[in-house]
Amino acid sequence: MTPRAVRNWSRIHRWSSLICTIFALLLCLTGLPLIFHEELGPNPKLDDVSADGPSASIEAMVRRAMAERPGHVVPYLFFDRDKPIVKVPTAPTMTTDPASFHYQVFDTRTGKALETTQPNEGFMYIMLRLHADLFAGVKGTLFLGGMGLVLVVAIISGVVLYGPFTRRLDFGTVRRGGSRQRTWLDLHNLLGIVTLAWFGVVAFTGVINTLAAPIELAWQANQLVEMASQAPPSAAAKEKRASIDIVLREVRTAVPGMNVTTVAFPGTPFSTDSHVAVFLTGNTPITSRILKPALADASTGQVVAVRDMPWYATTLFMSQPLHFGDYGGLPLKVIWALLDIATIIVLCSGLYLWWAKLRFWRSEDEVVQRQPATSDLIAIDK
Amino acid sequence: MILRTVWRQWRWPVALAVLTVFGLLTALVGEGGVWWVMSWIALAIPLLVIAWATAK
Repeated sequence: MTPRAVRNWSRIHRWSSLICTIFALLLCLTGLPLIFHEELGPNPKLDDVSADGPSASIEAMVRRAMAERPGHVVPYLFFDRDKPIVKVPTAPTMTTDPASFHYQVFDTRTGKALETTQPNEGFMYIMLRLHADLFAGVKGTLFLGGMGLVLVVAIISGVVLYGPFTRRLDFGTVRRGGSRQRTWLDLHNLLGIVTLAWFGVVAFTGVINTLAAPIELAWQANQLVEMASQAPPSAAAKEKRASIDIVLREVRTAVPGMNVTTVAFPGTPFSTDSHVAVFLTGNTPITSRILKPALADASTGQVVAVRDMPWYATTLFMSQPLHFGDYGGLPLKVIWALLDIATIIVLCSGLYLWWAKLRFWRSEDEVVQRQPATSDLIAIDK
Repeated sequence: MILRTVWRQWRWPVALAVLTVFGLLTALVGEGGVWWVMSWIALAIPLLVIAWATAK
């Protein structure tokens, strides 16, 4: 690589890193506890009950949740992927921002209400909001997505510079005994190149995750409208409501072998005024991440449409585990956390190296500024 | 000569990147058990390399 090319790539690496490092640091620091959200988050205690027994009525849980919060409605049901529990949110309207939901949690085997903290309160919630949208909604999420793209540029330019900067060194060399900057430069290069693939994948899938809102909008505007138009609801659908137990039975019969993960009641952004949308997942590691929507007539529970999600939504679903690291048990989460700490060191050492270089440039400037004084002295001598 | 320099400089970074991608996909595609263990080993190796390089 020519010296000019190295200078240009150095400029790209310096500026892209400077723009995004503070946000990348925030994302790495807030992401650290989020890796363990299942262990650290709300974790209701379950009774020992035979798993083979009949399930309790979900409709009864919905009625109970509404009775606890008079005047409020239940927009969604969220079933847990691993535990026999369902989260029942209540809100003033069907379109209320999920950040304001009040959650009640029930054991799906017994129907018993479980004691739990609200998932939208506390330390983990603050970490999640700082990580996902800086408490600024969709705008904050898209801004962080932009910073993620700049971070990808910083990573690529860092890889390009790894070549000329380590040409004369054996792999893994960390020179000690010289200047502190040189030792930190070697550590920055070593940690950066070793964690490259992991950091690249996590940064890129993070950027894809920030597109969740536009992807949801595209799905609502195209697929949901098309599914609903396949079978216009009966005249009674707007007044009469079938029990959610009937809807779930119809959906499970129509789509066997899949698990219900989310229910969107009529009037929410993920259903229509006269349809219930039920989102299902498969049982394998990959299919358990990909949602399949089924639309049912709200008055009869009859399933009117089932279809796979479009490619852009599937891309989003597949990028989520690769960003969260929650798909390989606790050891994978510990490895994820250690790799995260290594990238925090890469970011901090990068900042330190820039600051040290800045100090060096300033001291050189001072030398240049002193030079006229020296020439004045020479003039006086003459 | 150039090829030898490139090989000397890039064989470890490339091997670690391939190992990382293998580890990331193994746990995602495989169904628990031995697949998870393979993923843990593959992703732990870059961390062990960092430990080795900083300790030597």
